[in-house]
Amino acid sequence: MALAEDISVQMPGAKRAGLDMDRVAKHLAIFVGLIALWEISARAGWLNPLMFPRPSAIVQSFYVIYIGTGNAWYHLYITLTEVFIGFLAGSILGISLAVVVGLNPIVRRFLQPYIIVLEATPRIAVGPLIIAALGFGFTAKIAIVMLVCFFAPFVNTLAGMVNVDRSALELFRSLRANKWQTFRKLMLPDAAPTIMAGLRLAMASALSGALVAEFISSNEGMGVLLDRYTGSLNMGSAFATLLSLTLLGFTIFKSMEWLEAKLIYWRNDDAMARISARKRVQMKGAK
Amino acid sequence: MNAMSNANARSGAHTQQQGDIVIKGEGVGKTFGNGSVVALEGADFEIKRGEFVSLVGPSGCGKSTLLRMVAGLIERSSGKLAVHGDTVKGPRSDVGLMFQRATLLEWRTALDNVLLPTELSRKLTSADYDHAEELLAMVGLQDFTFTFPSQLSGGMQQRVALARLLKTGADILLLDEPFGALDEFTREHLNLELMRIVADVGATTLFVTHNIGEAIFLADKVMVMTPRPGRLARIVDVPFERPRTAELQLTPEFNALVAEVRAVLGDH
Ligand SMILES: Nc1ncnc2c1ncn2[C@@H]1O[C@H](COP(=O)(O)OP(=O)(O)O)[C@@H](O)[C@H]1O
Ligand SMILES: [Mg+2]
Repeated sequence: MALAEDISVQMPGAKRAGLDMDRVAKHLAIFVGLIALWEISARAGWLNPLMFPRPSAIVQSFYVIYIGTGNAWYHLYITLTEVFIGFLAGSILGISLAVVVGLNPIVRRFLQPYIIVLEATPRIAVGPLIIAALGFGFTAKIAIVMLVCFFAPFVNTLAGMVNVDRSALELFRSLRANKWQTFRKLMLPDAAPTIMAGLRLAMASALSGALVAEFISSNEGMGVLLDRYTGSLNMGSAFATLLSLTLLGFTIFKSMEWLEAKLIYWRNDDAMARISARKRVQMKGAK
Repeated sequence: MNAMSNANARSGAHTQQQGDIVIKGEGVGKTFGNGSVVALEGADFEIKRGEFVSLVGPSGCGKSTLLRMVAGLIERSSGKLAVHGDTVKGPRSDVGLMFQRATLLEWRTALDNVLLPTELSRKLTSADYDHAEELLAMVGLQDFTFTFPSQLSGGMQQRVALARLLKTGADILLLDEPFGALDEFTREHLNLELMRIVADVGATTLFVTHNIGEAIFLADKVMVMTPRPGRLARIVDVPFERPRTAELQLTPEFNALVAEVRAVLGDH
């Protein structure tokens, strides 16, 4: 059966694990080679140290900013807070507004032109206006991240709700489901994968939004740190800060992937197999 | 209204019909677009308790329109239509619906999909879970209780939809080309099972198809519809004994009936 085949494909065999180890080793060799080449070129004076500090200098700077003086922690904390509060506030606002609009065809018709105009406006260009309105503080930066994080979840939630399968809606109508049941048990889960894709986009731009907000006006945060180190030509520390941001971005991306696999379990074969097995055990236990 | 008495009413259905009238239409018509599109001209028909009635005709002749009016999903433009003696005003709990597409909720296991109709009307009890499991066994899916729809074949998905339909407890089943998207072998197999199951539960069934042989094979009565404009052209009685086997389709009597229906459709 097709089903059994699907499952067997998902099983990571011992052979595949061996192959993976091989590949990892190759990647590692290339990486180490590149770093060594960089280090040698820098020491030999072939690279401009202002553009490319030595890898060993970057590692040293890492040590200094996180352990030596430890002053990066505070800025990291500030940026993370901006990202998370702005993301949560922006996406919750976007999703809720889309639900209201999606459930009311009349509201939708009247709001549509404004949404199109707002969507065509480059988000970050509104940044200076927000700062003019809210000042240079923390609130303004959160507001900028919020703005950046608002549209993708809003647009995707709306699309997801409008595109709910017509015969499924008809089924719910024939089963005499009320509005809330139809929303809760059909529209919301049906739109969930699309909403999640919107959240992923929002999260990806949240970090950039926070950094740009910090570049425009701030005296704290990773963006400020980066600005300051570059300004004082402390390139080792600037690169260490940049690498921290790469690492942060990667962690955020992976967490969103993990969250998606958890929430949208029906698009993931392993997750479905796990849930099926758990439900089977529960049912046996109940008897 | 227990299954037993329904089944009794059913077995007598094709001889001298004694069952009470469950669905009655008088001049039921439907137009779309302010009367510019006539989907169905006034149709008169009666369907008795426990009867299996097929609705056959080429696509666009108004089969789905008629079915959705009986289901209370769309309003009729003219005529009278009553279910169990009440004028149809909207969806009712004793009328269940199944479509060509299974429309299963992909985030729910087969079992949880079957439980949906009950869940929408009241709080679930452990008896509901047992009942849903029985229904899944009835449609041959006892080993797929906890499987998700995306892991089931098209035929299996329709089986889940059928179990869900039975869970509504409706005694009138409206099926709109339920196996129309499946391959011929699967469809024939499911038709046989459908016949067995509706006889078991003693339901009154209105079955839409555009396959003449299938329409006759399953039914006590075939409503033949013709297009442009949609019209109920003829109601043909099907006299064959039950239970029926696939071999019935090879007999001259059966083929004579197929020819009769085809002649009605051929006039158009
Ligand atoms: N919502 C609608 N608006 C306009 N025309 C419709 C609508 N639904 C059905 N029709 C028209 O009514 C006619 C009958 O359709 P339908 O009942 O779906 O036919 P069948 O199910 O027999 O294929 C067709 O000509 C179709 O185009
Ligand atoms: Mg149709």
